Order: sequence, then structure tokens, then C-alpha cells
Amino acid sequence: MEKLYIICVDDQREVLSTIAKDLAVFENDLIIEECESATEAEELIDEIDSEGDFVALIISDHVMPGKSGVDFLSDVNKDERFPNTQKILLTGLATHQDTIEAINSASINQYLEKPWNKEELIKSVKKLLTRFILKTGLDYQKYLPLTDQETLFEILKKQG
Amino acid sequence: MRKSLNLLISIGIPLLILILPQSVFPFENFTIIEQRVVAIFFLAALFWVLEPIPIYATSVLIIVLELMMLTESSFVLFQDHGNRENFGNYLSYKEIMGTFASPIIMLFLGGFFLAMSATKYRLDQNLARVLLKPFGKNPKMVMLGLMSITAIFSMFMSNTATTAMMLSILTPVLAVFTPNDKGKVAFALAIPVAANIGGIGTPIGTPPNAIALKYLIGDDLVTFSQWMGFGIPFVIILLLFSWVLLAVLFPIETKEINLDIKGKFLKSQKAIIVYFTFSITILLWLTDFIHGMNSYVVALIPVAVFSALSIINKEDLKKLSWDVLWLVSGGIALGIALEKSGLALTAVESIPFENFPPLLIVVAASILALTMANFMSNTATANLLLPIIAALGTSLSSLDDFGGNQMLILAVTFAASMGMALPISTPPNALAHATGLIQTNQMTKVGLIVGLSGVLLTYLMLYIMNLINFF
Repeated sequence: MEKLYIICVDDQREVLSTIAKDLAVFENDLIIEECESATEAEELIDEIDSEGDFVALIISDHVMPGKSGVDFLSDVNKDERFPNTQKILLTGLATHQDTIEAINSASINQYLEKPWNKEELIKSVKKLLTRFILKTGLDYQKYLPLTDQETLFEILKKQG
Repeated sequence: MRKSLNLLISIGIPLLILILPQSVFPFENFTIIEQRVVAIFFLAALFWVLEPIPIYATSVLIIVLELMMLTESSFVLFQDHGNRENFGNYLSYKEIMGTFASPIIMLFLGGFFLAMSATKYRLDQNLARVLLKPFGKNPKMVMLGLMSITAIFSMFMSNTATTAMMLSILTPVLAVFTPNDKGKVAFALAIPVAANIGGIGTPIGTPPNAIALKYLIGDDLVTFSQWMGFGIPFVIILLLFSWVLLAVLFPIETKEINLDIKGKFLKSQKAIIVYFTFSITILLWLTDFIHGMNSYVVALIPVAVFSALSIINKEDLKKLSWDVLWLVSGGIALGIALEKSGLALTAVESIPFENFPPLLIVVAASILALTMANFMSNTATANLLLPIIAALGTSLSSLDDFGGNQMLILAVTFAASMGMALPISTPPNALAHATGLIQTNQMTKVGLIVGLSGVLLTYLMLYIMNLINFF
């Protein structure tokens, strides 16, 4: 069976490990990867895609050395290999202009501010994973622990 | 690891059956075609139980294997090459392929169009709001209201979509319950139970009913209105019973419940066409004896109307549950293979059922269906059991005093919808269990009691139907 991945991107090691720790609840059902730069993340999602697995969600910081988070997410957004990949921008330092860019070019699904609240992060991740699973046409019954009730019901009830 | 083992078993056993010498099988005049049908049947059963692939994919696999192994257009290694001894008769490839568009499938397609348009134009949500109002704020009454609405909707919509809708209405309310209030369990269980029960009410309520219709033909014909004639009273009684059961098992402490469903009826032209077509279709289904169109023909009317007026557009068309349609097609194809190859009759006649008390056969068959449905898809259960049950019903004259084939088929079909003891039993159960409000043992307790009571109630219903000479 194909594997689901969450990619976390942040240039600060300690931030990365805190995110990963907060998301540990998901570890039984998917793989959480930590990347220290956009370039590293790009290589990784390229590899995941060529293995036939799914990049379900990317959680990225904005201000990083090299490529910025918003630029990275914009590229993912344009990439036809990742049409359903969900995107969270998790940052404390984005300017007004960056934020506009994040919405208009990167079509991010969620904007979270640092420092973030663990419950809020988990809730957002669940919601976005649910959307990814249903949009991709995966069998939601196999991923029930990952899903957000409200979102699941909302989408399922539309199917008549 | 477990997955590959499942796959190995599901393929290995049918392969073994295929290569065994014919003399191993305990049937007289056993043909090569029949042997292949046995192999396909075992493959279907194992695949549907162990689920190495999705259940609808198994259905497609059955159809393709039948085409390749049983028809006049089969793969060269499976042809008779002029050697007709013990070969049996080819099946018609057109008939096997035709299962994708059999009248049963069209009936369901019509149902899907109705359900989809109702959801799209928010008829379901708005009806739920209006219908719930008279039940007030007393939690027990609200629960009865929710169960009634769920049951009514699941008669025309899929049980899964109905459950999703009702749970999304319910969850915000349950969040304000005190943590120790057992009423939460009652409410969360009420929805899937009502959805499972409600599906029995109409031929399009749930796929097993439609599959049953395939075998209720000729002298055994049951029309849409006749089905509702016995189905609706059955649903009402079992629903009331479940309501009392849930209220007693899980007493509600909360004194008042405020369900807030937003929205108002759409008044656009298209919405009004949806309301109108929905009502007319149901009316036509109920009055077939007046206008002469059977339920299959009527089912295509909303398909035409909604397509013509772009109420269901081509994007919506892609979202139809084709998987459910294919799941049923595979079942019908399996039934055709069992029947036309003669295997169903051969198998049934090889066991001296005539010597058993006829009522024991009814009980055994329905309990078997109930047990299977608890562990696998209700539709797959019906797909596997009904072809054999129908052959048994038609060949067994000792059943005639009790309602014959019709009675036996209905007993098994109803029992197949009563499997609701586990989260895996039905999609509504899985959704309700995923809310985290219900423990598995609570679901099992309720599911077993309701399921067994439902089977007993089915017997009572069939007994009464026999008394009034329905059969």
C-alpha cells in the first residue's frame, strides 16, 4: 500500500523536532519527515513521488536561508505531480506582502503563527489530511485515525 | 505480511479448485464449466471476506474472469476445442457484460440521481430541520426524531451519506453533554442503527434489496410498492424497539437538547424542479399498478430530467458511486454463472434438503446471512448467498406452505441488512465508531440485540404475510 508523508520544513533544528513531537500522534499511520531547507524538501518530495507514495501535507516555515517557504510552496502548488498536496505556512516573520503571496501564488490551505498551539496544529493537520485522503480517492475507512470528523462528514454527506 | 498471506490464500484456493481432477467433486454429471464456476465462487467469497483488494474491484474481477473462462468468447485455453464431453454449456458474454447495465443497476442509478440532487439542493438538510421541529427539546424525543429522519433518508439515500449528514448535525450537540452522560452513546449509536434499519424500507434503500429483486421475478415478483408495504411497517417497529433499547441501556442525563440546523428551503427554479421530480418519482414507484411502468423504468425518469436540466451536470456525474454499482453488477454476474451453468441447482440437489424441516432451513439460512453480514459487506453477503438461496427456494417444495422461494429470499435479504454488531459491519457503523463516543463492546451489544430481534421480527412479518396470502 502507498505510504502517506507529512513534510516539515524549518531551518531551525529545535523547531523541527518540536513540530515532529507534536505530530507524533500520527506516526502509526504515516511518515513524518524533517527537512532543514526548501532544497532538501524538494529533493525529498521528488523521491517520494517517484516511489509512488503520497506527499499528503507540507508544513513549512517562511524565512529560511536560500529558497523561502512561500516560494517553495508556490512551486509545489504549480507542480502537477502534487495536485492534492495540502500546505500549511507556519511562521512568525512573514510580512504583509509575503502573506498575500502565500495565498495568491502558493494557495496555502492554512496559516499558522509561531508560537503555535499544539491542539490547533493537530486539528489543522487532521482536517487537511482528511481532505487529501478524500480528494485523492483513498479509502477513508483505512485512515480513520487520521481524519477529522467534521471534515469527513461534510465531504461524505455531499456524495448522496 | 498479513496482507500478502490474505492474497495468497484468496488466489491459491481457487487455483487449487481449478486444477483438481473432476472426480474429486461429489456431484453427478459435473461439467468443466461448473468446476470453473466453483473456483470463481470461492475466489469471490475469499476476496470479499479477506479483502485483499477493494470489494468493488472483486466484482469487476469476477466479471472479467467469467468472460475469460466461461463464455463462447473465452481465452483459447478455456475453450472446448470441439471436445464437448463433460464440458457443459458456454455462457453468453453479452449477458455477463450486460450486468453492468442490468435493470437493477438502473434502479440504483435512479436512486443515486435522486439522492444527489436532494443533497445538492439542500433538500435533505432542510427536510431534517423541518421534520425535527415537532420532536421538541426533550432528549428522548429528539433521539426518536433523529432516528426517524435517518431511517426515512436512508430509504432513498445511501446509508453512508445519511449517517455522515446526521452525525455532522449531532456532534456539536454532543460536545456540550457532561463527560459522564451515557446519553452520548445512545445518540451516537442511534444514527447508524437507524440508517441500517431504514435501508430495508425500500428496494433502493440498500444494495442487498436490489440484488434480491433480481431473484424475485416471474411468480415471485415483488413490486416497489409491495416491498414498501411490508418494509415500512418492519422499519417502524424495529426502529421503535431500538429507540427504547438505547434509552434503557444508556440513560440520558441531559435535560434539554437544542439542535440547531441552519438554512431555509431553496426557492430557485431548479430547486423546485428537484422537489417536484423527487415527489413524482416516488409517487410513480408506488403506483406502478395504475400506470404500468415498472420501478426500473420509473428510475430512469429522474436521470433524464436532471440531466436535461443540468441539475446533475457532468462533474456531478463523475462523483456518482460507481463502485457501489459495480459491486452489485459483480454479484449479479456471479448469480448468472451459478444459475446458467447449472451449478446452483447441482449443489443444492446434492444435499438432501427435502429431509430437513423447512423452517430449520429458513432459520439456518438467515442466521448464516446475519453472521456473514456482521463480518463483511452486507452487499457481498447478498451477492454470495442469494443465488444459492434462490436455487434452493425454487427446488424445495416443502417450503411452499410457508411462502416458498419468495419467503426464503426475503428472510435472507432482511437478515443481510441486520449485520451491525461491529465497526467493520457497515460503513455507518465505522463512521459512528470513529467519533470516539462509542466503545466497541457497546456497539456489539446493541448491534447483536437489534440484529437478532430484527431477524425474529422478519420471521413474524413473513408469517403474517403468509397468513394474508401474500405469497
